[in-house]
Amino acid sequence: MTDEAQKPSIITSSLDFLVNWGRTNSLWPFPYGTACCAIEFMSTEVGRYDLSRIGSEYVRFTPRQSDVLLVAGTITYKQAPILKRIYEQMAEPRWVIAMGACACSGGFYDCYCTVPGIDHIIPVDVYIGGCPSRPEAFFDAMFDLQKKIKDESYMKQRASRVKDQLEMIKAKTAEATAAAKDFAQAKVEMAKEFVSEKEQELVKKAQFWKE
Amino acid sequence: MDFKELTEKFGGKLDAQAKWDDCVVVPREYLHNVVAFLKDDPSCKMDMLVDIAGIDYLTYPNHEGERFAISYAFKSLKHPGLRVRLKVQVGESDLKVPTISDLYANANWYEREVFDQFGIEFTGHPDLRRLLNHVEFVGHPLRKDYPAQKRQWLSTNDYLLPELEKRLETLGYWIVQRSKEVETKDNEFLEGSVKE
Amino acid sequence: MIVRDSNGETLDLMPLNVGPSHPATHGCLRFMAAMDGETIVASVEEIGYLHRGFEKMVERGTWQQVVPYTDRLNYCSAIMNNIAFCRAVESMFGVELPERCKVLRVIVNELSRINDHFVCVAAAFQDLGGTTPFMYAFNPREEIMCIWEKLTGARLTNSYARIGGLSRDAYDGFEQDVLAALDSTEKALKDLHACLDRNRIFLDRTVGIGKISAEKAISYGWTGPCLRACGVAADLRKDEPYYDYETYDWEVVVGTQGDCNDRLQVRLAEIEESVKIVRQALKRLAPGPVDIVDPRIRVPAHKLAYQDMEGLIGRFKSVYEGVRVPEGEFYSGSECANGELGFTIVSDGSGHPYRIKVRPPCLTQFAAFHELVEGGQLADSMAVLSGLNIIAGELDR
Repeated sequence: MTDEAQKPSIITSSLDFLVNWGRTNSLWPFPYGTACCAIEFMSTEVGRYDLSRIGSEYVRFTPRQSDVLLVAGTITYKQAPILKRIYEQMAEPRWVIAMGACACSGGFYDCYCTVPGIDHIIPVDVYIGGCPSRPEAFFDAMFDLQKKIKDESYMKQRASRVKDQLEMIKAKTAEATAAAKDFAQAKVEMAKEFVSEKEQELVKKAQFWKE
Repeated sequence: MDFKELTEKFGGKLDAQAKWDDCVVVPREYLHNVVAFLKDDPSCKMDMLVDIAGIDYLTYPNHEGERFAISYAFKSLKHPGLRVRLKVQVGESDLKVPTISDLYANANWYEREVFDQFGIEFTGHPDLRRLLNHVEFVGHPLRKDYPAQKRQWLSTNDYLLPELEKRLETLGYWIVQRSKEVETKDNEFLEGSVKE
Repeated sequence: MIVRDSNGETLDLMPLNVGPSHPATHGCLRFMAAMDGETIVASVEEIGYLHRGFEKMVERGTWQQVVPYTDRLNYCSAIMNNIAFCRAVESMFGVELPERCKVLRVIVNELSRINDHFVCVAAAFQDLGGTTPFMYAFNPREEIMCIWEKLTGARLTNSYARIGGLSRDAYDGFEQDVLAALDSTEKALKDLHACLDRNRIFLDRTVGIGKISAEKAISYGWTGPCLRACGVAADLRKDEPYYDYETYDWEVVVGTQGDCNDRLQVRLAEIEESVKIVRQALKRLAPGPVDIVDPRIRVPAHKLAYQDMEGLIGRFKSVYEGVRVPEGEFYSGSECANGELGFTIVSDGSGHPYRIKVRPPCLTQFAAFHELVEGGQLADSMAVLSGLNIIAGELDR
């Protein structure tokens, strides 16, 4: 896009309004449901709290066809590369909602296997608290997301919008992989020391028996 | 339940810690025979293995004996209500226990979990690898000396192809040519999407 | 990959990964299947994608703080897990609960079981393609969850049971609400049976699919509705009864074939039996205390803490140091919605648990998944998977 075209004008702002109206009222979620929040999401989909009244008529379980990646439930380190892969397979425009305490911050599982919040892995737009999040909270979050989308200008590439978040994620990933490497190396060192100690003991024993 | 055979024939001892149910501590060499006896003997007929739990006694107050123990819980469907537990003590220096996965099919996964969380190896197990933690995990998390908050990053998820090939071989197929492991290609990411 | 089978024929198999994120709304399960066309020749499964470290987390708190963690094991029927755990610890104390507590526990147990079976059946039908039963099945769930909200404060993961009683007594109007929910349940059951019993597509897709023999199921350690669908009448509520289950008038539902259809129909029939039990239990509900009056086990009531010195001290010690469970080891299993949920508890006599191992019922059922699926087609594997009711929270803990 040339520089002149990027300057805001009446044409681009009406276009923005139209495009955002379309996007806001037909958000198709991809429920990446892992744990309890997924069950509450199922309750949100049906009957009393009806998800289709805000445009998400049927949930698509494929990243290609959906707009909103709705991470509902705990993400563990085993699951993390898969979440990242799915996020990368989604087409722009895409947004991420972190539903539930576990997705926002790891919840009360502060242990060796849970990722302390999915914003260590992918950039997040809306966080919903709760354990599990109530359907009303979920709707509140969807409305927040809609407000956020209304303010977007479709010309500014989304990548630049989330650049800060992506940098933070890169830094955190590098830190975590470095820590993992150090830990693994430390274990290897310990194992080597152990082996060399045993060898020395055997050598001593052999000498003793020789004498 | 009559424990005479277990204590006399197999050298088991009644566990003093089990105050509300029956538990017998057996030496690990006789484990397989004891379990086979429990399974086949008509007086007890323990046809279901209920649970295998690993226990680490490192920080247990006033504990004498080995560091680890494995508790096997059995249940009988023929005599409803009849349950028994076996306990095997495992020391840190010799972390090997015979497997019972040939007698009970679910022992396969239970033993894999004990191996994953505690590091106890089961000799004779067909497929001893981690069950719950990821493939790049170093250490055994449920041991008392593993800090609870120590997180370990995973860079890629494991391919199950080797396990699949093993399964095919147990079913009687002979692998002639392996599959190539698939790498993500650039055209998987749509234009405009962000790739790291 | 190219393989040669025992007859010398070469087959070209395609390994297909049905990954941890897939449309069947069961969360994090993964299996890799070697396919010959549409038929699955071999498959291996993988779990651990929701391993949250329950067993490590409970070691750092007190015994009462374990109850919210147990909620999230089988999150569709959360209160059953709480009750299973509290029952195990109360057996270690050797105490007898007051009558009202037992009856209330039976009522919430069975209502949770109804909830869980509805989720399983609804998700199963959605996986097979039908979205209408999903909507029908969630209506009584909403009513029951409203009851939970009024009773416990939360809709889904409510930590209702406490060691030695319940967190609070039933509210005024509880019985009317439960009766209304039961009527809604019966209506939904009628609708579901109308949708499914003679539905050609459903019957074709589930009858004869995923058959397992009773011996194999027992060897794999199956319990619960999946085992009962194979024809084995094993139900802990009848075999090792607790909370006066043997005094209620109900029957164990048993299937015949051990296939997918049986597993789902057994669950629907169990909902009816649970409704029967709840109706009888409501008649037995009499006023009385809901907690044990023993400050070493159940924390003294709030009122006493504000009035009495002993109440205050009791409350402080109970909350701060934890309930002191007697030293020893114990295994106890309860009949939860999926089967026998067991806890192997090792206590060192202090207020903090030393080791709690959970015996999840779904682990054994998923371990046998490859037996059910091999030889069938890929679409059948989805039907099988949903009929087993694998809850990842319980499977991986």
